[in-house]
Amino acid sequence: MKDTLNILHKFSAHPDSRCWYVAWNPKGTLLASCGGDRAIRLWAREGDSWECRFVLPEGHQRTIRKLAWSPCGNYLASASFDATTCIWGKKGDDFECLTVLEGHENEVKCVSWAPSGSLLATCSRDKSVWVWEVDEEDEYECVSVVNAHTQDVKHVVWHPTQELLASASYDNTVRLYKEEDDDWVCKATLEGHTATVWSLAFDPSGQRLASCSDDRTVKVWKECQPEDEQGEGSASTDPEWKCVCTLSGFHSRAVYDIAWCRQTGLLATACADDGVRIFNEDANSNPHQTIFSLSVHVPKAHNQDVNCVAWHPKEAGILASCSDDGEIAIWSYHSEA
Amino acid sequence: MNSESGKEDPFDSILMADNRFHCEAYKEGLLEGTRQGLLEGMSHGKTHGARLSTEMGFYYGFAFGWKCLLQNNTDAKSKKRLKTLETLTVLIQRFPHDDPQYATLLQDVEKVRAKFRQVCSMMNVPADFREYVNVAAGMSF
Repeated sequence: MKDTLNILHKFSAHPDSRCWYVAWNPKGTLLASCGGDRAIRLWAREGDSWECRFVLPEGHQRTIRKLAWSPCGNYLASASFDATTCIWGKKGDDFECLTVLEGHENEVKCVSWAPSGSLLATCSRDKSVWVWEVDEEDEYECVSVVNAHTQDVKHVVWHPTQELLASASYDNTVRLYKEEDDDWVCKATLEGHTATVWSLAFDPSGQRLASCSDDRTVKVWKECQPEDEQGEGSASTDPEWKCVCTLSGFHSRAVYDIAWCRQTGLLATACADDGVRIFNEDANSNPHQTIFSLSVHVPKAHNQDVNCVAWHPKEAGILASCSDDGEIAIWSYHSEA
Repeated sequence: MNSESGKEDPFDSILMADNRFHCEAYKEGLLEGTRQGLLEGMSHGKTHGARLSTEMGFYYGFAFGWKCLLQNNTDAKSKKRLKTLETLTVLIQRFPHDDPQYATLLQDVEKVRAKFRQVCSMMNVPADFREYVNVAAGMSF
């Protein structure tokens, strides 16, 4: 294996607690982290080290599970086990909580901003996915509640260009939603994983979706336009999503997170076996039978479970990861090929 | 040998008694079981039917009340809210109240519940009505 993943920095971000999630702002100048200590911290590179630039005031009563930056980079959303989602914005030199979104019955597991910035999705242990609309006055209104999953919903993510929403759940499925008659409806159910689906990532073009699961596999799904063989074609125009690749045998425990690099097309995974892995797509693989090969495996990337991986939005090959031991690591990927 | 023709062979009736009682008891048991099952089913249906109807009725009344409060408002926000209330009302009205076996009952119940929660969020009303509506128990069949 000639490709390498070198560690650039490692620092304790949430001491004596778990670091659940990290998110780069769209410019890539700030890295936001959240954890079991109910804190949100924003990190920036200062010369040769990483410094905590902002500590957001206390806004949540319980663990903060995930974060999402708005596409404009001015707002940060945080999903917490206290059943609320907070929207943070910069006021002067500090961040403050602008809005608290309430409605979920219990733990909010994830939050995601649509590419337009005018829609926000949240999901919860209460099995529902909520879609919120943001108006010009920065007011949030719920436009739909969807009860499609039969269990805890772990992750939501928007398509990079279209208004298409994907969710992953403890019911082992992935579901895709679109707006229809003022409501959001489940348009497709992706079945194949045999345990909880923990996270999802769209490829840069949005034609493929990667999912990672407690069943220790990663699956890649591809959008296939339904063939209208009879030439009628008006009955169903919803594209189908088919599994074109399953990565099994690489992870020895649950795969908690997956990230698809915008620049390089590399797939990074965060695993409960403390490892970080990078997968590379074979250049001459068939579009219906995609082949990914393991490029790098860092076995002891962290001292405990790796919870999240995030590619830098601008600098190709820069990856951030975080772990149950409260640490954040920044990596640099190099390919010799 | 055939002096008793037309009558049952006494040995036969003794030998077959076991079988006969078995059959009779089975028939009796079946009747009794059917009766009990019917009663149990009826009470189960009544309980769940009543619970579900109470829940749906509560949502319907909630939507109706809010519609009355908002109907004279003409601002964009109220219009949006009215539209969602209307969707909830229509969802409940479309419910086939007299067909307990209709196939998508549970899915449609979930749709109504989801719409109700959206309405609560829009109106800034806390959606915790557990005291009035027993949703948490769910349906067990």
